[in-house]
Amino acid sequence: MKLIYTPVEFQSRNYYLVLVILALLSVVGFICFVISYTQGHGGFGISNRIPWGMAIIITIYLIGLSAGSLILSSLTYVFGREEYRLISRIAVFLAIILIFGAMVGISLDLGRPEKMWRLFMFFVLNNMRSMFALNGILYGGYFIISFLYLGSIFANHPKWTKKIGILAMIWASLVHMGTGAIFGFIEARSIFYSPIKPFEFMVAAMVSGLALLIIVVIAAFHFAKRRYWKEPFFSLGKLLLGLTITLVVLVGIDKLTHLYSPHRESTLWLLSGPFAWLFWGFQVGWGYFLPILLLSQPRIRKNIKGLMIASSLIIIGIFFERFNLVIPGTAYPMPFYPGKIEGIWGREGTFPITTIELLMGLGIFSMMGLFFILGLKYLELLPLLEGGKESAAQASGDR
Amino acid sequence: MVRWAMVIDLDKCTGCQACTIACKVENNVPHGSLEEQQKQREIYWNKVIAVTRGKYPHIQTLLIPMPCMHCDQPPCVTVCPVKATYRREDGIVMQDFRKCIGCKYCMVACPYEARSFNNKEQETKPYHRQDLPPDREVRGKWPFPRRTHGVVEKCTFCFHRIDQGLKEGKKIGTEVVPACVEHCPSRARSFGDLDDPKSEVRHLLSSRIWFRLREELNTQSKVYYLGK
Repeated sequence: MKLIYTPVEFQSRNYYLVLVILALLSVVGFICFVISYTQGHGGFGISNRIPWGMAIIITIYLIGLSAGSLILSSLTYVFGREEYRLISRIAVFLAIILIFGAMVGISLDLGRPEKMWRLFMFFVLNNMRSMFALNGILYGGYFIISFLYLGSIFANHPKWTKKIGILAMIWASLVHMGTGAIFGFIEARSIFYSPIKPFEFMVAAMVSGLALLIIVVIAAFHFAKRRYWKEPFFSLGKLLLGLTITLVVLVGIDKLTHLYSPHRESTLWLLSGPFAWLFWGFQVGWGYFLPILLLSQPRIRKNIKGLMIASSLIIIGIFFERFNLVIPGTAYPMPFYPGKIEGIWGREGTFPITTIELLMGLGIFSMMGLFFILGLKYLELLPLLEGGKESAAQASGDR
Repeated sequence: MVRWAMVIDLDKCTGCQACTIACKVENNVPHGSLEEQQKQREIYWNKVIAVTRGKYPHIQTLLIPMPCMHCDQPPCVTVCPVKATYRREDGIVMQDFRKCIGCKYCMVACPYEARSFNNKEQETKPYHRQDLPPDREVRGKWPFPRRTHGVVEKCTFCFHRIDQGLKEGKKIGTEVVPACVEHCPSRARSFGDLDDPKSEVRHLLSSRIWFRLREELNTQSKVYYLGK
């Protein structure tokens, strides 16, 4: 089993068409950012009740995807599982692109993005008790480590790769646990406040990262018209099932403990209020229940199409998990004083989805897609199989 | 050491919102449109909430004016990554527009919703501050000379009045008070030094039963309420 990595020679006109479309969407996203900046976030759905909107949802979603795929690359480079070498290089590259998208997302959310440098003046201008500032260290370090990691992989230096890989794995877990802590340590918002949040975030990161990897790698092989082994993906499907069940357990514990005082009111509201259909429908039904149902059937798990469907369900479900954290978490009115608060101060917040916010989000995703397909063309990311003898029968790229 | 505090007598409050208006005028807080108010996007440095308990005919309504609580252990200061929100020596929690990057983490962390995000540039009129020279050459005291979009704002206990009053040797709490205290028609609010045993706030707190909002979070807020 020998893998040779080569750039993919995309020659068709479709490739350039996709390239141009993604570039155009990124430009549209940038224009929307300029408009939103001049309007002082006037075009967003955010309010004083719901301060964080789509940009933050996308950011924490992308950080999760990035951390997840970097952690999973360690399967090969740290734990020496050779069968997963197929996905590992792409995993590291994807992690870098996704964290870049996340940083763009954060800067879009800032009211004053030109002052973003202040976030990175550690110990000098920063308040190091703030979870945000601590996460600044984590994100900055993550960037450097993942670049070194990719560099050592490209340089074919297994010893260094393993060393940096261990560091990258730990650091990536910390990055997403830190992101969870941004929410979990806020005592004022009872839906956020939970010591289990960092762990929930880490498992969610691995679930979504793995699902994304499965989709992206299979799609890349498919569009590059290259052959690949299917067995690694089937065992990854099993891992995906296990991780999703772990995530369900963690989310279940979080919600169950919150059903007791003093968080009971807001949690009941989340589970039965205006956002309940998002929670039960998209997060639980679409994101957890359906994929677990699909993946627990060996017939579906051992089928590339079934695996792809389950992974896409999870990817979308985890996005709504993020949505259900950020928006309803802040929308519930604060209990300033026991009793019913009248007027706007006691009304739950609403979050209209606006065009500018949507286009900006689409712009971030398009920009990352653009970088990814450029990377496939110019970097040695996708393996070219050299006639694997025993697996040649199963290896085929067209199904 | 001084620790400025406010005492609000809920028995006297009529819910006339004069404090909200006085605050807007004093601090040049923009007046939002009806649409902005409905979307909860209007900026309020001071608000008055009405809390009802029970059902008709056995109902009780309590009007609670809520400025920034200027907590001694402020959650907003803990979470601010860039030290834009800080606690002054005299206990006033300040917001530095020049440092604020607009991440809105403090708005998420504040248990009293005392903070508003400003999404509008200041209108033609310069920042209205009668106590300061109009050209704003001095960049020391007030953190940002002009109101600016993309940052978070909040009540300052009218710190400019206090600072100016101290400079002129006036008595804070009687001669010089924040705008909301000055304009309250029923004199429900009093302002003064918590560490001064002879101050009016200390007198009120020792003679009446008082409470603070959301004390379970241990924010040690310095806005005290006297019950009905």
